[in-house]
Amino acid sequence: MSARLARPAFTLLLAWLVLYPVAIVVADSVRGDAVATFVSRPGEWGALWASLWISLASVALAAAIGVPLAFLFEWLEFPGRKALGSLIALPAVLPPFVGVLAFLFLYGESGFVARAVQAVFGLRGPPWRLQGAGAILLVHAYSMYVYFYLLTRAGLAKLDASMLEAAHALGAGRWETLRRVTLPLLRPSLAGAALLVFMTALGSFSAPYVFGGGFRVMTTQIVATKLNGELPLAMVETVALALVAALGLALLRRTEGDELLAALGKGAAPPRRPIRRAPIRALAATAGWLFTVLLLLPHLTLALVSLVPYSSWTTEALPPVLSFVNYQRLFGEPERLRPLVNSLWMAAASTLGAVALALAAGALARGQRAPRAPRALHAPSPRDRWRGPIETLIALPWALPGTVFAIALTTTFSVHAPLALRWVLVGTVFLLPLAYLVRNLPITGRAVLAGYRQLDPALAEAAASLGAGRWTTFRRVTLPLLRPALAAGGSLAFVAALGDFVTSIVLYTYDNRPISIEIMSSLRLNELGVAAAFGVILMLVSALVLGFGARR
Amino acid sequence: MTPFVLLDGVHKQWSPTVRVGPLLLGIPRGEIVALLGPSGSGKTTVLRLLAGFEAPDAGRLVIDGEDVTAVPPARRRCGMVFQHYALFPHLDVGGNVAFGLKGSPEPGAAGQKVAEVLALVGLAGFEGRKVQELSGGQQQRVALARALAPEPRVLLLDEPLSNLDPTLRERTRRELRALIKRVGITTLFVTHEQEEAFDLGDRVAVLNDGRLEQVGAADELYERPASLFVATFVGRANVVRGGGATARALGAHDGEVLVVRPERLRFADAGLPGTVRERRYTGAAAFYQVETERGERLEVLAGPEAARVGDRVYLEPAGVLTFPEERA
Repeated sequence: MSARLARPAFTLLLAWLVLYPVAIVVADSVRGDAVATFVSRPGEWGALWASLWISLASVALAAAIGVPLAFLFEWLEFPGRKALGSLIALPAVLPPFVGVLAFLFLYGESGFVARAVQAVFGLRGPPWRLQGAGAILLVHAYSMYVYFYLLTRAGLAKLDASMLEAAHALGAGRWETLRRVTLPLLRPSLAGAALLVFMTALGSFSAPYVFGGGFRVMTTQIVATKLNGELPLAMVETVALALVAALGLALLRRTEGDELLAALGKGAAPPRRPIRRAPIRALAATAGWLFTVLLLLPHLTLALVSLVPYSSWTTEALPPVLSFVNYQRLFGEPERLRPLVNSLWMAAASTLGAVALALAAGALARGQRAPRAPRALHAPSPRDRWRGPIETLIALPWALPGTVFAIALTTTFSVHAPLALRWVLVGTVFLLPLAYLVRNLPITGRAVLAGYRQLDPALAEAAASLGAGRWTTFRRVTLPLLRPALAAGGSLAFVAALGDFVTSIVLYTYDNRPISIEIMSSLRLNELGVAAAFGVILMLVSALVLGFGARR
Repeated sequence: MTPFVLLDGVHKQWSPTVRVGPLLLGIPRGEIVALLGPSGSGKTTVLRLLAGFEAPDAGRLVIDGEDVTAVPPARRRCGMVFQHYALFPHLDVGGNVAFGLKGSPEPGAAGQKVAEVLALVGLAGFEGRKVQELSGGQQQRVALARALAPEPRVLLLDEPLSNLDPTLRERTRRELRALIKRVGITTLFVTHEQEEAFDLGDRVAVLNDGRLEQVGAADELYERPASLFVATFVGRANVVRGGGATARALGAHDGEVLVVRPERLRFADAGLPGTVRERRYTGAAAFYQVETERGERLEVLAGPEAARVGDRVYLEPAGVLTFPEERA
């Protein structure tokens, strides 16, 4: 295909994948009386409101944990700082569903903590039920503070020490400097983290599904409505959730401000202050260690539960028998191994697809430089003209909760209308990997586009001047230089697809049921050990893949 | 004689006010031409037009009798050394130099060529080194070796020495010239430094605002500049606008602009009166700032002890260039 046609054709392909299904849901939802049903049911408004306030509260809680931690680890020096600093970022890299599972085993009504309390105080029943809004918020705070922690630390590391010194020299005390200089300079980081947490919490499904009980947020409401067979109503709910997401995105984008704020200073970050007084230093170190253990405890719990054979653990505080029998069953019975194989091939296929599309997007939107000329003066090249649409479409799935995409894809691909570019994919094994692919486009796209932006355009020209054609240049120069970006984006996408629960529960079939679905059904059958073993495998594969992706 | 490289009426328009050309420039085989001009004058654009990274709106580019105007860069066989070298960071020195060598039927031929070219630039045995570990001067030589390895027809250098520190620059300049002459390749290079252009180029082409002002040997440009721009851009110059007493004292007519080199003004017993305001000592000589009675400042190059600050002196010109007054 000629380069002239490639960009519009690719943009159309992206639009078909990303925009078209959502458009169909929007169009279908306004037909019929589903909108009236939605408006008239208080439960719907309740769920929408719950989604909104849970998301906002998650932002506040995550900030309350993540920001102080960032200051602690970035500004103070104490024993163990480095190791702990990277350990507490761990929840970010584990699939959210695994976190939920681990939480259940640790703090749930029959979890270790509850059993311990029960044993210590001789209670007859479990001391609490981990359920409702509070439980959801607990899980959210636990898994999402990492965004604030990482982004605030990055912001602090970019901070110019001379600015703080200037404030001190002008007579500002420590608190005043924090309030009038440091925090305003951190605004882009904080706003970015708030946006991330808000969007993640709004789209969060695992925690409300497992811990919600009677408390419904929009994501769980949509899935429940769909299971009830009220698909038109589910579509209206989907559109409502998408609108809230779009609104939140727009509002938070406005407060994000510009990166110039932080980029103004070029100096070094302030040096870490060692804590001089020994008792306080010990206190900081102890707090750091305690916190880390607290954060890693759920995952250790998961590992422990995976060693508990079926029905061997009833009322004891600690499991009486430990063995590898769950793992043996898992790898010994083909039917049990099946979900693992399913998840692996679907994650691999969708990641390959998402990486390929991201590469195409990068090459078409960013590849090689536009003619050298004063920017405002020359007419936009086709590359410039198509860059906006291509990059927006690639990023769009990020702005929409996974449930929205799942419903959009089921709706779009449940009809056979080839002229409208719709085929029946519902009930086939292909719809779920397609959903993974679309959902992962922003991850791979972001990485590859950033990689392209960092490429020196002179390298491609150098290759051309040495006789390399377009394809040779791509193969021998561009691709090798993009490899770190591809590895990073690809591994993140693979892990996201591997651990996905939210789209899977809407789109899976018996033949392609993924790990997360199998974990849920094991839980229902009270096979906690098997569920945990799956969780551990998910965790290990994720860690392995991410470790590979982070290698330079 | 037909030139080996010919830019024939080449023209590139970015906007109504930003353009390069039309240019007419012929370079005989084996000659080194320096493209000299202030930043924004279009030097690099000329180089990129020749390399094929930009397409001209009009005109022809000819290399060795072949019209290459529509030939893509990969098939033009122009070796290019980029300003920041553009070495491939994922390849070692050997990989970079071998990049442009086509797969040869006999194994080892490419390796031999790489060794040969590296030896030529004084980096024999550097094949396995990482490019990030090299000094700026070594990187520059790797870039040169890489450009020369495929035996291009023309060598293009974009500010080849601008990334080197000043002490290294002068030595590298001589080595570079000697090397290019040894290879015998026709070369066009871009610079904004007059000294570099004079030192490295057989001829210098002065570019201003997208147009060629003059092409010639260094002394020609200096002694017989074709325009006021060349006179002032190449070498130091006192510019005196026509009409005033100073201009008349130096022999100018109305409607003329006068250019006098500092070394062409002498302290004398009679002539244009003035006062020495500043003296800048350079070792073998000194620059004197002389203020005339009308307040104009003229720069004079003379012996280090020729005058002192505050002295009243008379200036006598020993060679004056005149140009018609520019229409503003």
